[in-house]
Amino acid sequence: MIVIIDYGLGNLFSVIGAVEKLGFKAKISSKIADMEKADKLILPGVGAFSDGMKNLKNLSLIEPLTKLVVEKKKPILGICLGCQLMAKESFEFGHHKGLGWIDGSVLKLEPNDKDLRVPHVGWDDLLQRKKSILFEGIPSDALFYYTHSFHIKCNNPDDILGECDYGGLFTAAFNHNNIYGTQFHPEKSQLHGLNLLKNFLEKG
Amino acid sequence: MLRKRLITVLTFTDGVLFRTKLFHPDYRYTQSFIDSWSIDEVVALDVTRPGQGSKENFYSTVQQLARKCFVPLAAGGGVRTIDDFKKLLSIGADKVVINTEAVRNSKLITEAANLFGAQCVVVSIDAKKIGEGKYEVYTEFGTKPTGLEPSAWAKKAEEYGAGEIMITSIERDGFLEGYDNELNKLVSEAVSIPVLVCGGAGKWQDFVDGIKIGKASAVCTTNIYHFTDVSIKSAKAYMKNAGIDVRI
Repeated sequence: MIVIIDYGLGNLFSVIGAVEKLGFKAKISSKIADMEKADKLILPGVGAFSDGMKNLKNLSLIEPLTKLVVEKKKPILGICLGCQLMAKESFEFGHHKGLGWIDGSVLKLEPNDKDLRVPHVGWDDLLQRKKSILFEGIPSDALFYYTHSFHIKCNNPDDILGECDYGGLFTAAFNHNNIYGTQFHPEKSQLHGLNLLKNFLEKG
Repeated sequence: MLRKRLITVLTFTDGVLFRTKLFHPDYRYTQSFIDSWSIDEVVALDVTRPGQGSKENFYSTVQQLARKCFVPLAAGGGVRTIDDFKKLLSIGADKVVINTEAVRNSKLITEAANLFGAQCVVVSIDAKKIGEGKYEVYTEFGTKPTGLEPSAWAKKAEEYGAGEIMITSIERDGFLEGYDNELNKLVSEAVSIPVLVCGGAGKWQDFVDGIKIGKASAVCTTNIYHFTDVSIKSAKAYMKNAGIDVRI
């Protein structure tokens, strides 16, 4: 069973649709008991960082989920805001504390080219920097769908799996032990996105 | 390198897909072709006139679409409240398109952007040409003049929190004679968020012109021969040939 964590932000429908399309049983839940029983977890989300943390806190999920992920090493994939929440801190409209599972900060996208618009919306590259189970069978020129104004900056270069160049490089995919994150939306990136999601669900 | 997008816009009356001309339902389609794999994004708009159908039929169509759509899906038409945003997002839309209400109550843009993120809020602007190089924003299916100038309104919408602008030329809609790239360029150059251009594409060169002359981030099409799998591929091959970075 795959549990998609519902904390009131983001389009859970498309994530569960993709997981089920790949032949996995999935459940949307905000209950820690369901997450403990799950084989794998997905932390999706679009929206503001501070709202995300506030909602996780109101659901009393921060401590038990951290224990489940960091100590018990339950495999988890964070998507978009979900991957950003895993960082130590965010500078999105102020300074906010994150879940702190990944040594990194969330910063505003500031392309060094005035012609590049923000938010960064659309299909863009994923420069694969490291071998990973996530990338098995994914061609190096595969494109993924991004839609974001902020990005995670990993302090530990070993965690960086893939980058994207949008007037400067940013981390597009990372992995630390059982924790995976993608800034792009695999559930909205057609064939390659579905394959990457499948890799996590099967091998993560 | 961020690719330029080719977007299919689907317009529905009472849940049934129609092509529009001058903003009126013009030609009815069946829906079997929508699950194409080459399109970059889909926009579903409810253009049902008051009293001519139920919102529920549109919602059920969007939900069906979302189930087989593994590219981003934007939905809109008649969005008035945060609850309307929530409804569309809950049935599978990734973004919400607002138009008339954005003009009437611009706070909705800010409120929605704060709640769902700027990337979720697409402000759609319908414009009519009113003189040489002059345009005016119309709302309510392109029937009500607002006194607003499109590029100034786009700039305002960006300040209020919009993540993308969709600009449509009312008088080009359904004519297949090309975009109004004077209008597109005006709006694109006024903002620093992505701009989707719509209304008038009829041949592959129109997409190239929309990007090169109109400065669009994405070009939209509403006509059936554009969104079969083969024709999308052919359009993209043409664009690539013209030096535009697209997802093949």
